[in-house]
Amino acid sequence: MRQPSLGRYVSYPLGIVASLAIFSVILLAFGYNPITSMEGLVSGSFGTTFLTSETIFLMGPLLLAALAFLVAFRARFYNIGVEGQLYIGALFGYLAAAQLGGFPGVVAIPLMLLAAAAGGTLWLALPLFMRIKLQVNEIFPTLVMNFIALDVVNWVTAGPLKNPLSGNLQTPPLPESTWLPVLVKSTQFNVGILIALAAALVIYFVLYRTVLGYEIRASGASPRAAQSGGVDVSRSILAVGLMSGALAGLAGIVVVAGVDHVLAQNFSPGYGYQGIAVAALGSFQPLGIVVASVLYAALTIGGESLQQGAAAIPIELIYALQAIIVLSVLIVQKWVGDRTSRGR
Amino acid sequence: MVSYEDLVVSILAASLPLTMPMLYASIGEVYAERSGVLNMGIEGVMSLSAFVSLWTTFSTGSYLYGLLAGMAVGAAMGALHAFATVRIGVNQLIAGLMIYFLALSMGDFGYVIVTKTTYLHVRPISPVQIPALSNLPVVGPILFSQNVLVYGSFLLAIFLGLVLYRTTWGLKIRAVGENPEAADSAGINVNLVRNLCVILGGTLAGLAGASLVLGYLGLYATGDTLVAGRGWIAIVVVIFARWSPYKAIAGAWLFGLGYSVAAVFIGAGIFSSLGPGSGYFLLAIPYIVAIIFMLVFHRGTKSPSSLTVPYKRK
Repeated sequence: MRQPSLGRYVSYPLGIVASLAIFSVILLAFGYNPITSMEGLVSGSFGTTFLTSETIFLMGPLLLAALAFLVAFRARFYNIGVEGQLYIGALFGYLAAAQLGGFPGVVAIPLMLLAAAAGGTLWLALPLFMRIKLQVNEIFPTLVMNFIALDVVNWVTAGPLKNPLSGNLQTPPLPESTWLPVLVKSTQFNVGILIALAAALVIYFVLYRTVLGYEIRASGASPRAAQSGGVDVSRSILAVGLMSGALAGLAGIVVVAGVDHVLAQNFSPGYGYQGIAVAALGSFQPLGIVVASVLYAALTIGGESLQQGAAAIPIELIYALQAIIVLSVLIVQKWVGDRTSRGR
Repeated sequence: MVSYEDLVVSILAASLPLTMPMLYASIGEVYAERSGVLNMGIEGVMSLSAFVSLWTTFSTGSYLYGLLAGMAVGAAMGALHAFATVRIGVNQLIAGLMIYFLALSMGDFGYVIVTKTTYLHVRPISPVQIPALSNLPVVGPILFSQNVLVYGSFLLAIFLGLVLYRTTWGLKIRAVGENPEAADSAGINVNLVRNLCVILGGTLAGLAGASLVLGYLGLYATGDTLVAGRGWIAIVVVIFARWSPYKAIAGAWLFGLGYSVAAVFIGAGIFSSLGPGSGYFLLAIPYIVAIIFMLVFHRGTKSPSSLTVPYKRK
C-alpha cells in the first residue's frame, strides 16, 4: 500500500480553503456578507445546547450511511443504494418495534436494531447476488432499488400502516420502550450517535486489524492481483455487502427510533446520498469520516439556522456549498497527490 | 365509463412526451460513456437547466432562448465534470454525484430567489398538428400531434446514432472508450475526445431539463421533485440500450410508457379499489422492469472497456 505523503495531508485543508473562497465569491455575488454568514453557520450549529444536540444527532445517520458506502467502496463495490436500504431498514425496524411494545427497552431496542440491519441487508441482497453470480455491475441495480424502496415505504405509510388518526402520511408512533434513550434531557442528543460512533470503530477494526479487512482492502486496491495472491474477491464483496446493507439499515432506524418516533413518508432528506459525500470528504477512512460527518452535519444545521436569521440565506445555497467543498477537496487532493508522488 | 381504446390511445399519446427528456439525456450519456466517462450528475444537471430555461423563457418570452440557456448551463456542468474527472482524474462516480448535488441545489437556490417576487411558469410549447395525419384515428393523436421537442428527441437520437457508427468521429469516440492506449498511438487525443463527449453529454442533459420544463411541465419544483428520477433512469436507459443511441429510443420509450401507464391509471382511478397508496406500485413498475431487464439480459450488457478508468499518457 502506498503511504500517504505529507502533500496529501496539506492538500486537505487547502481544498477546504479553496471551497470557502469559491463560496465567499458566490455569497458576495448574491449580496450576502461572507464573514457574518460563516459566523452564522458556526453559531447556528453549535451556538446553543439544543443546536449542538441537533448537529450531533444528524451526525448519526450521516456517519452510518457514509460507513455503509465506505466499507463497500473499499472492496470496490459501489453501493449507491444506501438510501433505499435505509428506508427498508427503517421499515423492518418499525415492524419489529411495533411488536415489541411489551418488552423493556434493553430487549426491544437491540431486536429492533437487528431487524433494521436485516432489512437493509435484504434490500442489497439482489444487487449483491447479481454482482457476485452474474457479474452485473452493482451501480445501477443498487440505484434502481432506491426508487422501489421509496415506493414501498410510500405505499405502506399511505395504506396498510398509515396512522388513521393522523392527517400525515405516517405510521402510528413506535412503542415508547423502543425509542432510543435521550442522553441529555429535552435535546435530540440520544443513543443513536453512540451507535454510529461504535460502528465507525468496528469498521475501522475490521478493515485494519483483521485478515478479512486486509482481503477487503486488497480486493479493492487491485482485484486481479488480490485474486492471484489467493484472496477470494467474491467473498470480500459478499462480506462488505452484508456489512454495508446492515449499516444502511441502522442509519434509517436511528432517525425513526431516535427523533421521529414514527415511520413517515420521505423521512430521509437523502441521507443515503449525503453519506457518499461524507465518505468522500473523509477520504474513505473510517475515522476520517467521523470528522467529515461533524463538518457536514454542522453545515446542514448551521444552514437551517441561517435560513431564519437576519441574512436569510436559503438552505439550498448551503447544500451547494457542501458539494463545492467535497468537489474542491477531491480535486485539490488528487492534484497535489499526483504531483507529490511523482518520481518516487 | 372509460373505453379501453381511449385508454390505450391516451397512454400511448402521453408516453412520447414522457420519453423525450430521458431520451435526450440518455443519448448524451451514451456519448460520454462511449468515450469512457460515467456522468452520474445528469439528474441534477437536468434540474438546474430546467430552472434556467424556465426562467429565461419566462423573462424573455422566447422558447429558443430558454432552450439555449438550458443547454449552455448543461454544457458548463459537463465541462466541470470533464475537468474533475478527465483533467484531474477524480473518481467519476463520486465527482458525478457531487455535480448532482451542486447542480440540484443551485437550481433550487435560483428558484427560491426568483420566486420571492414572481410565480415562475410558462405555457408548454404547443403540439404541432401535422396536417391530415393528425386527424387519423389512433395514430393521429399518438404520433402526429406532438410538440417539436418530442420529434426533435427522436431525430437527434437517429442523427447521433449515425454519427457514432458511420463517421470517423464516431469511430474515434468508440476507440477512445474501448482501448485508449491504442487510440493514443493512432494519434487520437484521448482526453480531448473525452472532454468533448462529456461536454456534449452535459449539453444534452441541459436540453433534457429544458425540454421537460418547456415542452411538458411548464413549471419548476424544488427538492428534485421536478426531474424526479428521470435523470437516473436515463443512465439505466444507456445500459438498456447497450450504449447505442438507436436502442436508447426503445429504452427511453419503455420507461416513458411505464410513467404514462402509471399516470393514466392513477388519473382514471383504476387502482384506487386496491386500497389507499396502491398507486405507488405503478410508479415502481419502470424500476422493477429495469431490474428484471438487467437480470435477464446481463450477458449482453458489456460496458465500454475503459469506462470509469482515467487515461494517463505513459
